[in-house]
Amino acid sequence: MTTMMNRPASAPGHSAGKKGLIERLNIVTAFALGTVSAVVVWQLALKFMPENAETAFFFNREDKIMLLSLIAWFVGFMTGIGALIGPFRWAMGKDLNHDENMFLAGKDQGLKRYFRYTTDHKVVGIQYLVTTIIIFFVGGTLAMLIRTNLGHATGGWLQPQTYNAVVGWHGIIMIVATIIMVTGPFGNFIMPIMIGARDMAFPRLNALSFWLIVAAIPPVFISFFTGGITTGWTAYNPLASQSALGMNGYIAFICIFAISTMVAGANITTTVIKMRAKGMTWTRTPIFIYGVVASVALALPAFPVFFLSQIMSGMDRAFATSFYDTAHGGSGWLYENLFWIMGHPEVYVILIPAVAALMEMAPVFTRRPLFSFKLAVIGIAGISGLSILVWAHHMYMSGWAPLLNAPFMLTTELISIPTGMLFLVLIGTLWRGRLWMTMPLMSIFALLWNFMIGGITGIYLSDVPADAFLHGSMYVTAHFHYTLMGAGLTGAIASLVYWFPKMTGRMFDKKLSWVSFWLVQIGFNIAFMGMFLVGLAGQPRRVESYAEVFSKGNLITTMGAYTIMAGMLVLLHGVIVSWRSGVKAPMNPWQAKTLEWTVPNPIPLENFDVLPVVTSDPYGYGKAKS
Amino acid sequence: MSVETHAHHEHPDVVGSRNRLGLILILVADIAMALSVLFVFFYLKGQNVNNMWLPAATEDTPATLALSSKGTWYVTTLAALGLLTHFYGLKGVRAKNQTQLVLGGGLALLFSAIALVYQFIQVSGAPFTATSGAYASCYFLIAGLNTLHLVLTVFIALGNWNRSRLGVYKSDHWHVDIVNIWWIWMTISSLLGAFALSFA
Repeated sequence: MTTMMNRPASAPGHSAGKKGLIERLNIVTAFALGTVSAVVVWQLALKFMPENAETAFFFNREDKIMLLSLIAWFVGFMTGIGALIGPFRWAMGKDLNHDENMFLAGKDQGLKRYFRYTTDHKVVGIQYLVTTIIIFFVGGTLAMLIRTNLGHATGGWLQPQTYNAVVGWHGIIMIVATIIMVTGPFGNFIMPIMIGARDMAFPRLNALSFWLIVAAIPPVFISFFTGGITTGWTAYNPLASQSALGMNGYIAFICIFAISTMVAGANITTTVIKMRAKGMTWTRTPIFIYGVVASVALALPAFPVFFLSQIMSGMDRAFATSFYDTAHGGSGWLYENLFWIMGHPEVYVILIPAVAALMEMAPVFTRRPLFSFKLAVIGIAGISGLSILVWAHHMYMSGWAPLLNAPFMLTTELISIPTGMLFLVLIGTLWRGRLWMTMPLMSIFALLWNFMIGGITGIYLSDVPADAFLHGSMYVTAHFHYTLMGAGLTGAIASLVYWFPKMTGRMFDKKLSWVSFWLVQIGFNIAFMGMFLVGLAGQPRRVESYAEVFSKGNLITTMGAYTIMAGMLVLLHGVIVSWRSGVKAPMNPWQAKTLEWTVPNPIPLENFDVLPVVTSDPYGYGKAKS
Repeated sequence: MSVETHAHHEHPDVVGSRNRLGLILILVADIAMALSVLFVFFYLKGQNVNNMWLPAATEDTPATLALSSKGTWYVTTLAALGLLTHFYGLKGVRAKNQTQLVLGGGLALLFSAIALVYQFIQVSGAPFTATSGAYASCYFLIAGLNTLHLVLTVFIALGNWNRSRLGVYKSDHWHVDIVNIWWIWMTISSLLGAFALSFA
């Protein structure tokens, strides 16, 4: 909770030469306290929980012990990083004083501030960026394991259960990475400056949302060594209730991540509504801001449902409740409904900010105004609104409510209309523009191509008769990779190159950005076109070996995947090299008109000496000469 | 900068307004979850899969009987009394009456603590276990959510009362206004749970 400084308060235990508690806590104390808490609870649970207490079908003593240990880890970690100091100091009536607030903001701490509960939005943005890159690296490595195994029809490189675990792990890790890839780094670092604010509305909640993600990672990592997530990323019940202990890691991971998303959603939305610069009316607010707000506003009501579905999953495992156990009055359809009520809006939570980021770049690199700003806003709002009415198209083949198939088919296909508006805005902006051929601009073309394929193939899946044939096949896998990776990740990588100068003070290496772009895009289209082919031919997804007839398509896909990997490694190399020794960036290398380019490099702690007053829209580049 | 900056450059009402919106948005998430819980309850009750919403007696186990909803309404009543006394305190601070604020906050704390203890007694004394079918599962889910809300309320009420006692709210009182929003939602949430359990 934000506190006022209208009365002095002293930091307990803080005097000259002696460090206060707030200064002692960092990532090391967090991991130490989290680990100690987990081990202590684990040992106590082993000792005091009777071994003969297994009285019901699903009940599992080990599940209970593991979930308790993971909760202890979570509480210990958040205590160790300092997340509880604020609330307890509030309750004690001893609000943080000026020095403590400055310390929390990371003033004069150099690199150490990145390993603490730092509240400065720029630090949080960089923390998100590095974390996202690490998560993508892990998820990408798992993808290569999958594709290597599928390079040959008989598989065999991985054991079937290990293969299932790798697929599940890859799925959930990549979903989380794509959810945070734009709103995390750029929503935190760039957005407040873009609207002319000095920080987020709730700086401590901002730090909380990031450190919750860090706290969520070890449970999913541990899951790999306790049987894995063998259900795929959807973790359907009652399959999940009957799976190995690793599912508990998945449950803890999702619950913690969902809290992080809710906190970030409230924070970002409040910041945009309440802290825009004077004169920044809604029509003068950059389109990227709309994308970020739409994304987090969608997540705000959607993720609690996901959270609840996992709480119930954990209760079924640990307490033998019967939410999803049909034999005892539960229902697998209940899980599917709860999961997809979150699961489909989540696709747009990923896509909208990435597309909005590219819409933000389009005027910059075409030197002309965004074509039909209002249409872009209507498109974003339309997608957001419709996305909560389409979830059951994932359940056509499950047998749930067949009478509802037609209405859900209609709502799903209606989404094409606002999506088409976004295409129109991008094409209209590019049309007869003076194109400045940079990697971010080429990413717009790549997005149009990839998203068109992802979108059109999605229409077939929304159609009940076609879905009866395509459901559960590699076609589905190719389709959602075209949307989430081909469109979403393309937008995120373009955002990285575009805002890299402002975030790091260095230009991204031009040559490496181009090499990476072409390798990734060519590899991507080879990989997933091959996957469409085998999917249409009937190859099911989530199989570790397949009939010989699918060999050629799979080999093509694997070759494409290796090309993507090469491109991604070049990109990673580019990030490291450019960050360390890239050309120093001028204040506004792209001659863009949004507010983040008006602050110097490095950006001062409070962003602006004097808060800006906005007098025009951010896309006043004039008309292009034809 | 951050918090400190806001304090130096912004009027308390501006900060209070921002905090109010932030809390309401967080409540949107909580409301979504509470409504999902109700959905779970009525979905499983409506489906009554394998007649296991309230399982009949077998040779080994007695029939599961729905709990009287009276207890849950008592908890809701206690929550409502907490809300009323907190509102009494809020009216006090608005009228610059610190004594009324401390008294109202203290009573609200007391009611929230009693509600929590009563909720705990009720759950621990339930005549069925988590394994007794879908109704029992839903009962523990609703009771669990209410317990979580009450734990948070006790913490918030304690902090609020303590700060009132220390005179923190003499100059501005937006914290108390915001705590009141939480009290309103917590009471409504408890009421929704009691309402659902009345239809077992």
